[in-house]
Amino acid sequence: MLDLFLAEFGRNLLSLRRYPLELLGAVVTLSVIFYLLFLGARFLAGPGAEFGGRLEAVLVGYLLWTFALFAYTSLSFGLMEEAQTGTLEQVFLSPYGPIPLFLVRNLSGLLTQGLLVFLIAMVLTTLTGARLSFHPGVALPFLAVLLGGYGLGFAMGSLALLYKRIGQLLGLSQFLLLFLLQAPGTGPFLLLPMAPGASLARGMLAQGAPLDVWGLLVAFLNAFLYLGLGLFLFGRAVHRAKKQGLLHGY
Amino acid sequence: MARPYLEAHGLYKRFGALEAVKNVHLTLHPGEILAFLGKNGAGKSTTVKMLSGLLLPDRGEVHLLGKNPFREPLALKHLGAVLEGNRNTYWRLTPLENLVYFGVARGLRLAAARKRAWELLEEYALLGKAHTEVRHLSRGMQQKLALLQALIHDPEVLLLDEPTLGLDVETALLMRDKIRTLAQAGKAILLTTHQMEVAEALADRVAIIHQGEVVVEETKEGLLARFAGEHYVLELEEKPPLEVIKQLRALGVEGEGPFFFRGNAQALWQVLEAVKPLPLKKVAKGETDLLEIFLKVVGHA
Repeated sequence: MLDLFLAEFGRNLLSLRRYPLELLGAVVTLSVIFYLLFLGARFLAGPGAEFGGRLEAVLVGYLLWTFALFAYTSLSFGLMEEAQTGTLEQVFLSPYGPIPLFLVRNLSGLLTQGLLVFLIAMVLTTLTGARLSFHPGVALPFLAVLLGGYGLGFAMGSLALLYKRIGQLLGLSQFLLLFLLQAPGTGPFLLLPMAPGASLARGMLAQGAPLDVWGLLVAFLNAFLYLGLGLFLFGRAVHRAKKQGLLHGY
Repeated sequence: MARPYLEAHGLYKRFGALEAVKNVHLTLHPGEILAFLGKNGAGKSTTVKMLSGLLLPDRGEVHLLGKNPFREPLALKHLGAVLEGNRNTYWRLTPLENLVYFGVARGLRLAAARKRAWELLEEYALLGKAHTEVRHLSRGMQQKLALLQALIHDPEVLLLDEPTLGLDVETALLMRDKIRTLAQAGKAILLTTHQMEVAEALADRVAIIHQGEVVVEETKEGLLARFAGEHYVLELEEKPPLEVIKQLRALGVEGEGPFFFRGNAQALWQVLEAVKPLPLKKVAKGETDLLEIFLKVVGHA
């Protein structure tokens, strides 16, 4: 499995090295979107408006959304691309089986996606003047959010595997992610995917709150629940795709 | 005979109202090349997908070295496939990167995959293109790489769907030689192709599928011999007079020279009597080829 991880990671790095414009394009696009929203909000609030601590919270939420977005969409876009280019069946010939292979693929993508989010954070803090206080412990709620994101990603991957063209649905559902990541981490919101982890990370990064162990436990329970659900759905979709001959073609 | 590497029993697949594959049984032994022939839509690709664990049969079972690939994905370690109509490799990666990636994805350790990749690139004369992105390679090189991708983990069973399609003559001949060598080294190979001359050159056994059913399965020699015994070819040094031609027609001889006679050896003497004493150039039992047999079989099936 370690070799598979290294092979997948190597494939990601090669893609970054060989096509740096794709990375640059993603950084610029995602930074510009946030900056335009930021400028728009300032314009609406008037010239004297100050975000105060809210700016950091909004920025952290946005960065989390960016990270979760990759976790959520990368499997589906990957499956659609492989179905289109005709390598999907070869990937399914792996003796590891599709679920372990795609799990490792997601995990290896984490590092390259982390690099992307880091670059976006650098650009946005420079542009907006926001200051983020990084505590190493914040990696844990981040991880919980990502696991939940991968769970939803596997659920969407099921649709991508069966129906192939789900780009529009992925695009629209990004706004749902925005809601999930900005939802308060209390009461019934704790049941929503990613919400507990996102709330915890927001508090730690924007307000310098200490790591809440119970909150983290809830966040991981939530994350594993949705990851398990996503994997279950993906397993069903693989079975159905193999039954109906849907692995080939686009 | 050694135990088959690949066994398929009673494979059946239906897509809606279409019965794509009906009760197909196939076996593939070590060192053997089975040419799996059929018209478009006959059920070849559906069968190959079921054999490779990519398509779940409605009924029937597949065993790769005794293991069912649908229940035990590890069985796929024993299988390599070149799938027709697919790119089979990543176009944004180089041949070396593709081979290393697929080697690891097929269960090799990273170092072993790298070593094997270099060996294959050298053996198949792709060393000079090891670091060129696949999308910049010629069609022949891409097809060669697809074969190497199937060979990277040294599987016992190879499923090759149209491995020589669209290749120039030289590359196609090279691929044929390589496939033959692989079989001699003990691999069990299922070769699916529309190119009958390729099948005839390589196959030990032939299976013809028609409308989802295997209608012929026997050794190539047996098949050629069975269909060859049906006619004789007769050639004369000079054009026979009209009178002789009339006699030949009365005996059922066809053609304008060479002449073709369908009948047994005894009846052939009557034909020879009819042309006597004209000088003979050639009298031979008619030979047939796989194309002719294929057309007869799918035409009569």
